[in-house]
Amino acid sequence: MKDNENKRYKHASIFGPMRHFKYIFKKPVTHPFKIIFTRKNASYLNDNAIIKNKKRLDSAPRTAPDNLRGFHTNDWEVCIGCGTCADICPTDAIRMVERADLKDEAGKLQQRPVIDYGRCCFCALCVDTCTTESLKMSKEYIYASTDPDQFLLMPEKTWQGEKVEQGYVKTEESDLLDLKRIPMEHIEPDERKKSFIEVVRGYSKEYARQEAARCVECGICTSSCPVQMHIPDYIKAIWEDDIEGGLRQIYETNPLPGVCGRVCTHNCETACAIAVRGEAIAIRWLKRYIIDSAPDDMYDKIFAEPVTEVIDAKIAIAGSGPSSLSAAYYLRALGYTVDVFEEKDRPGGVASYGAPQYRIPDYAVEKDINFIKKIGVNIKTNTRVGTDITLDELQKKYDAVFLGTGFFKARMLNIPGADHKDVIGAMDFLPLARDLARGHLKLDEMNVLPSAVVVGGGDVAFDVARNLTRIQIMKYGKANVLLTSLESRDILPASLDEFVEGGEEAVKMELGFGPQEIMIKNGKVKGLKVWKCLSVFDEAGRFNPKFDETQEQVFEADQVYLSIGQAPDYDYIPESMKDKVIIERGKIKANEVGQVAGQEWLFVGGDIFRGPDIITGVADGHRAAQGIDEFLYKKSKKKEQSEYYKELREAIHFNTPVLAMKPKRK
Amino acid sequence: MTNSMTNVEFVQNLVKSNVNVLQEHITDQYQVHFVVEQDQVHYILNILKNAGWIQMSYLSAIDWPEENKFELVYIVFNWEKPVYVQIRTKIDRENPVMNSILPIYPGSKYYERECHEFFGVKFPGNPDYEKQLILENWDDIPPMRKDFDPEAYSKRKFPQREYSETYIVQSEGKSKLAKMEARKQRAESLRGGKK
Repeated sequence: MKDNENKRYKHASIFGPMRHFKYIFKKPVTHPFKIIFTRKNASYLNDNAIIKNKKRLDSAPRTAPDNLRGFHTNDWEVCIGCGTCADICPTDAIRMVERADLKDEAGKLQQRPVIDYGRCCFCALCVDTCTTESLKMSKEYIYASTDPDQFLLMPEKTWQGEKVEQGYVKTEESDLLDLKRIPMEHIEPDERKKSFIEVVRGYSKEYARQEAARCVECGICTSSCPVQMHIPDYIKAIWEDDIEGGLRQIYETNPLPGVCGRVCTHNCETACAIAVRGEAIAIRWLKRYIIDSAPDDMYDKIFAEPVTEVIDAKIAIAGSGPSSLSAAYYLRALGYTVDVFEEKDRPGGVASYGAPQYRIPDYAVEKDINFIKKIGVNIKTNTRVGTDITLDELQKKYDAVFLGTGFFKARMLNIPGADHKDVIGAMDFLPLARDLARGHLKLDEMNVLPSAVVVGGGDVAFDVARNLTRIQIMKYGKANVLLTSLESRDILPASLDEFVEGGEEAVKMELGFGPQEIMIKNGKVKGLKVWKCLSVFDEAGRFNPKFDETQEQVFEADQVYLSIGQAPDYDYIPESMKDKVIIERGKIKANEVGQVAGQEWLFVGGDIFRGPDIITGVADGHRAAQGIDEFLYKKSKKKEQSEYYKELREAIHFNTPVLAMKPKRK
Repeated sequence: MTNSMTNVEFVQNLVKSNVNVLQEHITDQYQVHFVVEQDQVHYILNILKNAGWIQMSYLSAIDWPEENKFELVYIVFNWEKPVYVQIRTKIDRENPVMNSILPIYPGSKYYERECHEFFGVKFPGNPDYEKQLILENWDDIPPMRKDFDPEAYSKRKFPQREYSETYIVQSEGKSKLAKMEARKQRAESLRGGKK
């Protein structure tokens, strides 16, 4: 008995195991191992076995529990190739590989993740941080191969060619992205519509950094930006509180950041990876934050050495809008002598005379332009090319000429009554409104009556309507502005900001109507007769509005403002040249950098070449600078060049923007 | 103890009347947690076990490197009164020692081994706590500590394989992605202002 005490089974008997025999005829509760295989394993086993068991091929492994973190699946249609999964992977198992076979489109990169399952630890951080929710985890957990190379897998919508059940999915709690934008403070509508005070206040340092922290640095925005700004980089600079570095990065590709930080069409935000599921990073306002917080003396550090004439060649620039200023800036940085001619008494073009004061105040435009002047660009205001100095003279005096004269004439409507003096074009009105805002005009001098209808659905129409609201309130104490457009709400070309802010300022809107006649009685405008617009474009996508005549209305008003597009003014092109310059639909024909065919010395940019917005104008200016440099550099005399100058020159060429793809609104 | 009392209220009463609760949180009607002092853990677990919380469901830890603490979490369950009770306590991170609860819950033997393996917490009283359980021949700091660097470990232990480039489809001519990379480097070189 004493021996038995230390034994594990005290009453062991050699017949003990006999009791198992009672299970012989019972149904097994376990699955026989030989049939639980994935198809891949089963065919592998069959290939290597002497007895080919067909039954094996029907076998399937048991379904895993919900939320299992199994092998990844990635829906390529949804995936945008942002690479955030590769960035976050704690074991460095994910790599982005180039897939040139994917369609190159705005808001997507031609790359997709591959996962090294020799390293993956199945932590699911990649799923939690996925911007599009395309990367998921399946319930598949069995995979075997004798070839180590077979453990590098590219997740697709299916796993091993089969549709599989979804395992781990991210929840609101586990989502690592911050989808909500840090709210931007706006002046209250009742307050702001009494004056031309800037509506958007701008971020404080704390808010800017919080907003910057939302960026995943994927760089998808960059390729949608017409000038391809270093967007993720300057956002990172904000997060690290390196305003100076951010300023240098911004000026590499955009010499009008103060303007663009306020009124850019921000295609970057439309393309933003965060915008797939949430609110885009406020890229435009972050840029503005850098400019607003950069003191004037910090601008001296943008160039490590003062910019001087290195190349003995002179360039004349007609107009001082965004494309002209951009061309002037880069040409000057390349070392040319640059003279800009502006007909009005302020440079800036659309930024000084088109866009309203409450969106972009003068001081912001001046901050940008002052730096362009500071590096030695000569701006001659009150000098109109064509009258004060002719294009022929420019051609003789200068080695190259850049035209950036813009679309500054209002397009008018060809309907009865449109020639009345109280039917006013947007581009005739906006410069006056701007002059009123800066105190150059008096309120009495403005021909603004107590009620108005604005025709147009673009941002400019909203500019007119909101300017009118302000002026009517100043003049009459209350406003009565109605905006009507051909386009209905869902295809309204204006940005959401304008639509929302205009609505807040009590601009009435009647969308989806086509103007037919200006109603005039006793020599005074009484209103606008419209028909309901059924469709704006025909089946081929051409502009060809269809109306329902039975749905006729009259919008009563004392004035009608037309904002249905702008037109160029080519009076300055002399008769001798008219047949040498091809103009198609108001735009001058030229090659990619804006060089006019047959006129090597002549370059164009901005609205008269490509349009339609400020930032594309800036891009045109940069490309033209590149084109002019290629045209002049070799044949001009040069001074000795410093190392820094060579580097700068290389950078300006390297950063010359390519034509950007316009992203669709999500 | 009346019938109107919920299970959670019962536990609250029980725990609070016996030990000093530093913090409590009721997740829902089946889950509640109490933070107590380190030296009261055994005492309160004993009381809970005698009150019916007989099942040791889980024991693990949370690393709080900023506070220099590990937070031990004991989860026990009662089949009569279905409430998971978590007893939490913070212990020193530099020298993490916690007496074993083996005498109270023998089932904690493996949990303590696991906790030692993943966090490095020592459990004197458990003869096997230092034995390896899941990680074989681990030669780094315990992997669930927040200062463990999985990327460096991966790189050291599993050198990047040179896979055949089966998945790459490159474009003819200049690669757009290569240009993006070059631009990024250019932008990076412009940094270095006020930090």
